[in-house]
Amino acid sequence: MSSHQINLIVNGVAHEVLVPANRTLAQLLREDLGLTGTKQGCGEGDCGSCTVLLDGEPVNSCLVLALQAHGHKVLTIEGLSQGRELHPIQQAFVEQGAVQCGFCTPGMILSAKALLDKTKRPSQEQIRKALSGNLCRCTGYQKIVEAVSEASRRLSRERS
Amino acid sequence: MLLPKFDYHQPRDVAEACRLLAELGPAARVIAGGTDLLVNLKHGRLRPKALVGLERLQELTGLETGRGRLFIGARNTAAHLAASRSLGGGLKFLAQAAGCLGSPQVRNRATIGGNLCTARPAADLPPALLCLGARLLLDGHQGSREVALSQFFQGPGLTTLAPAEVLRGVVVPRPGPGCGGGYIKLGLRRAMEISLVNVAAYLELAADGRRIAQAQVALGAVAPTPILSPRAAKALMGQTAGDKTFAAAAEAAAKDARPIDDHRGSAAYRREMVRVLTRRALQQAWEQARGGRGGKK
Repeated sequence: MSSHQINLIVNGVAHEVLVPANRTLAQLLREDLGLTGTKQGCGEGDCGSCTVLLDGEPVNSCLVLALQAHGHKVLTIEGLSQGRELHPIQQAFVEQGAVQCGFCTPGMILSAKALLDKTKRPSQEQIRKALSGNLCRCTGYQKIVEAVSEASRRLSRERS
Repeated sequence: MLLPKFDYHQPRDVAEACRLLAELGPAARVIAGGTDLLVNLKHGRLRPKALVGLERLQELTGLETGRGRLFIGARNTAAHLAASRSLGGGLKFLAQAAGCLGSPQVRNRATIGGNLCTARPAADLPPALLCLGARLLLDGHQGSREVALSQFFQGPGLTTLAPAEVLRGVVVPRPGPGCGGGYIKLGLRRAMEISLVNVAAYLELAADGRRIAQAQVALGAVAPTPILSPRAAKALMGQTAGDKTFAAAAEAAAKDARPIDDHRGSAAYRREMVRVLTRRALQQAWEQARGGRGGKK
């Protein structure tokens, strides 16, 4: 099996790694870089718990080969907070009760971030569509949608 | 879930890709977004010895008009197509179809080339492309050829793609004013779904804005491949656009459908849904076609 030397930027930090062809980005992040905030749920691109932002766009990292991330930028949930200061989206999730077991949370937050980076004040429909690739078994989604809405309010106040 | 072992090749252009595929033979598979292929590998349904990545192939990118035809490079992702301003007016329903595929995460990786070459009967992009009379540009070891999409699908997962051939892209004629399409995907849920039935409809209105000059209806998930409905087209051509005509076309489309019973739904239900969705998709197409005539309604 072929091995590939790859360079990628993860949460603003450059990494050079030698990876076997069949390593997924999810495995690279979790096992090689120790960033276990990205979860492995279904492993086949259905649940979204492995969601990371690849060049700002949400992808299922379980279906991206690590070598395909060569030359690209990855943002994981660990890259969102600044030290101990939570990102407004994370803060909103905590305050609105959008976190129960927390397994879907990193993926949900990153999908939400990608949405809010493009759409300042998304409607509920837009939020639900943006999160449609992220499954949650605990919350019933309502609090998650409210948290994203609340985050969008805070972010637009910050940005204006 | 773990991936089996394979070698990964990264050819720099189409010629190299075709050469590699010819050398490696049937044990090699092409990979673009990987949202279908890698799932199959994880489940052990496919065991290629080698993957040939398309990420360096510039010939497969691009979304540009030339000589009245729009070229859509095979590597264009569903997300890119869904958001593209190049797909407006009579092409908007193709963007809408792209927006129905999978989930946001899948759309950011899944490509039009993959959606066509995996040839699933329920795929989201073929119906609109069939309505538009899309043609495929194929590059092989021996040279290039162009085939009509309507001749491409042979059965579930089967196409006329030759060994060591790569899909470079799709070309569709650029619709003029007075053209419009509609696409409706019916599933048990609103995302991350494989169609129970999907329908694309396309209308070209005559200069009077009422008579149908050209029409196509295409159906997905109700036959071994995505199909055009010649009966629906016949029921529409030359008729006056409106619900009565659309209802008749819907009946005709149901006759062309060849659905089966499966775990998603019964054949009878699917046939009935062909009726319902065809009528609605034609309504959408008509609104789009009229909207294209001199601005908003």
